[in-house]
Amino acid sequence: MRLPSIPLAAGLVILLGAFGSVVLHQDRDTFDHEKHRKVFPECQGCHAGITETGRAVYPSPESCATCHDGSVEKKVDWSPPPARPSNFRFTHAEHARESGEKLPADSALACPACHIPSGATWLTVRRTISAQCLDCHGVQTAHLSAPDTACGTCHFPLAEATALPEERVAQFEKPPSHDDTAFLSSKGHGEQANRSTLSCSICHARDFCVGCHVNAPEVKAIQALAVDSRSLAIKTELKAPASHQESRFLSQHGGKAKKDSGSCAYCHTQESCMACHRAPPNVVLLLPASGPGRGIGARIERGRPASHSADFVDKHGPLAGSSPGTCSACHERAECLECHRPNAGAAGNYHPAGFLTRHPATAFNREAECAECHNQAAFCVTCHQQAGLVSPGNLQKGYHDASGVFLLNHGTAARQNIETCVACHSERDCLACHSAQSGRRFNPHGPGFDAERMKRKNPQTCAACHGNAIP
Amino acid sequence: MKAGLGWALLLLVAPAAGRAQEYLVRLDSRVQSVSYRGVQKDSLLASQVVTGPSGGPETPDGYAASCTGLTYCYFFRAGPILHGGPFMTSADLTAWGFGVHGLSLHANARVGADLSSADVWPGTEPAVQLVEGYGEYAAERFTARLGRQIERGRLGYYGYDGGRLAYRFPKQGLTAIGYVGLGLARGSALPVTSDVLNPLDDFQPTSRQLLAGGAVEWQSRAVDARLDYEREVDRDTRNFVSERMALSATIRPLTGWSLTGGADYDIAWGWWGNADLTLRHSQTRFGGAVGIRRYRPYFDLWSLWGVFSPAPYSAVNGSLWVSPVRGLTLRGGGERYWYSDAEAETPLLNEETEGWRWNAGAGYSISSAVSVDGGYQAEFGPGAASQGVDGSLSVRPTNAMTLTAQAGHLVRPLEYRVEDPALTWYGLSIDLQATERLRLGVGATRYDEDRKRPDASSINWSQTRVSATLSWLFGSSADRLPLPPAVRREGRR
Repeated sequence: MRLPSIPLAAGLVILLGAFGSVVLHQDRDTFDHEKHRKVFPECQGCHAGITETGRAVYPSPESCATCHDGSVEKKVDWSPPPARPSNFRFTHAEHARESGEKLPADSALACPACHIPSGATWLTVRRTISAQCLDCHGVQTAHLSAPDTACGTCHFPLAEATALPEERVAQFEKPPSHDDTAFLSSKGHGEQANRSTLSCSICHARDFCVGCHVNAPEVKAIQALAVDSRSLAIKTELKAPASHQESRFLSQHGGKAKKDSGSCAYCHTQESCMACHRAPPNVVLLLPASGPGRGIGARIERGRPASHSADFVDKHGPLAGSSPGTCSACHERAECLECHRPNAGAAGNYHPAGFLTRHPATAFNREAECAECHNQAAFCVTCHQQAGLVSPGNLQKGYHDASGVFLLNHGTAARQNIETCVACHSERDCLACHSAQSGRRFNPHGPGFDAERMKRKNPQTCAACHGNAIP
Repeated sequence: MKAGLGWALLLLVAPAAGRAQEYLVRLDSRVQSVSYRGVQKDSLLASQVVTGPSGGPETPDGYAASCTGLTYCYFFRAGPILHGGPFMTSADLTAWGFGVHGLSLHANARVGADLSSADVWPGTEPAVQLVEGYGEYAAERFTARLGRQIERGRLGYYGYDGGRLAYRFPKQGLTAIGYVGLGLARGSALPVTSDVLNPLDDFQPTSRQLLAGGAVEWQSRAVDARLDYEREVDRDTRNFVSERMALSATIRPLTGWSLTGGADYDIAWGWWGNADLTLRHSQTRFGGAVGIRRYRPYFDLWSLWGVFSPAPYSAVNGSLWVSPVRGLTLRGGGERYWYSDAEAETPLLNEETEGWRWNAGAGYSISSAVSVDGGYQAEFGPGAASQGVDGSLSVRPTNAMTLTAQAGHLVRPLEYRVEDPALTWYGLSIDLQATERLRLGVGATRYDEDRKRPDASSINWSQTRVSATLSWLFGSSADRLPLPPAVRREGRR
């Protein structure tokens, strides 16, 4: 087990080393100035063109060969580096001219002021040491913490630094302010951008903002930025604000949206609401619809509420009865109708496979009210009629043969499960014995029957058995 | 006249929908090949019966006969095997963007036909049924609807052709609702006067009932409540068809806890109907509910069924689900119930008044592409019982395709009839999301039934059922599709 880990570790070390060398190579000059500190007492000897227009910025390889000729010193293979595109507003010639004009003659800036760290030995040359630039320009902060107004002193907006490749944009360092938890809120970067987009524009363009802001066309600060697809090289992702992590956020977000839909509109389109809300509240219409110039915004994945557990399909009735508005936030009426007006076209979802075989017991024991969804006459009786199960009109003993005296004891079965009787029997089957006008005249009324109320509410029903002689 | 109003509404909706700038249509179609088999009543002269092995009367060819009179004995022989080919299509349309902010049209219609020559499938008459078809105007304070619509609440789902107005008081969280119209039959998109709803030539009203009702909803951070009142009146006689009221509420005292309850009172019959109270708790890993409830069937006043005094039952129930490890869910639940005294006991038989039911099961998602589920359920009550197991295996070889194999076994003694059938089924279905807006499915299930009965009338209706489904969603704003399903796809009843 340990042997394979050795080459793996070695490979990792090599990989890291190679990566590190590439990174270091990018940060350090390819010419070892420090090694030549005793040879070159001044910068202008090699870099005369840095401030003198018309002369080369770098020395030629031939000038190196005056020493590195193979006898005095070994030969070297060195060539001037290619011009390095940047977003610097600064040029050496212009900077030297302006500083010469502004500063006293005896304080003229020399190269070491920007390229040799303070206190370092001669020719410890680095690329621009931004801290020293800021120091001269009176900015007393770290480079990336410089105030908004300071960035433009040295840097072009990204859109104007046209030569800067996308790879370099991707390497822009993130200012520490961007790590502030409040930065992502509208009171963070939003307020900053509203004050001035200058500092934003150094690294960003409108394309970057549109990646998150679905209200980009309505935000002046975003529209103030130029369009530049290179800004997308800086990767970012939309993160839910801390408020969205609160346990009650889901249940309370409707009220919050009504109070301040503008906040929602930063990240949410109508479509992100419609991922859950199928009957959109009016407040949704205040949000922008997705379209050109807008970001896709927060993508919502609809989750099942905690209340919708395994048995919820059986228990949702009372909940839906008390708060139908809550249901309609996610469900549309057609979904209710799939079960409540059984939609055979949508392949019923309520009953499991093989339910037809189980339905007699389930219907008989009445766990649920079948008539809520199935019209008993059209659904139950019609099918039972096809199957020969309905009473043909004159009651004859025979089908309920599990009990030899079923007829005598059918009263209990009827009162407990009369909905099941109705699936096969007509009212006239019962009136054969239970009418007050003919037959055996057995009284059908049981506990709870209020004859007076019945007579008051619908005397016609009484007349079916009692005729005109309603007691 | 019976279907005329429905068609008029559909014709009103259709051209207006055509002028809408935005619309969304969902079509669902399903065709099946099914068969079923029932019994056929027959008789013979009492003098022709013989004594069977059990000592009872039988026909000479072995059918148990019932001899109540002196002349004839009756028996049930196996009926013919009936083959059906039901084809059902439903269309759901929502259209908006008529230039009036808040105005929309909604329609839900069904087309059904039995493609077999036997025409045995129920619910295919009439072939076209308009379930809903209404125009809606929604403003900040109110929503008005006109047309065929369904009112839903604790009193049930009631369809009617008429108008509805809901007015909101946002600060108080109140909504007042009123509606009036000509009612439809319960559980149907047809008026109660339809011949289709009277296959046995029962008592039936001669005109549609006038339905009117109102409700008040109150929604707050911790409480939702709704009070319903509804009445139906026969337009010819001015007699009541129904008059009921209901109260329901949900209280959410703490995160994850809810207490839901309510009751309905039948003013017309003068008794309490259904009632329930359930305390529910849900967390990420577990949840459960305990409750009490009462059940009493409801009948309109124009039918005689209510005069037989349907006996209610009271029940206690509970359910629990636990997810001990990621992907695994264990579930179980049960209910015990007691009928109130039906006051119909005879000296010959004791009343059975108690019943129970329970179930247990487990589901496990082996991976994002494979899941299994299985369960056991049993119920036993006065007159009927069943118990069985079922299971399914779902495999998703691609994001667009789901294969599901399912099987089960069930035994179910019939109610008040000597039969002890056992059924085994197994089947396979394939569900394919062909495009973002088109879903196709095919399935086949084999049913093998064994009806244990000591005479010749035991019926075998073993068969293979085949089905094909299509769901097609299209519209002007279909870019927001597909939406994840909001309804639970796996039934558990």
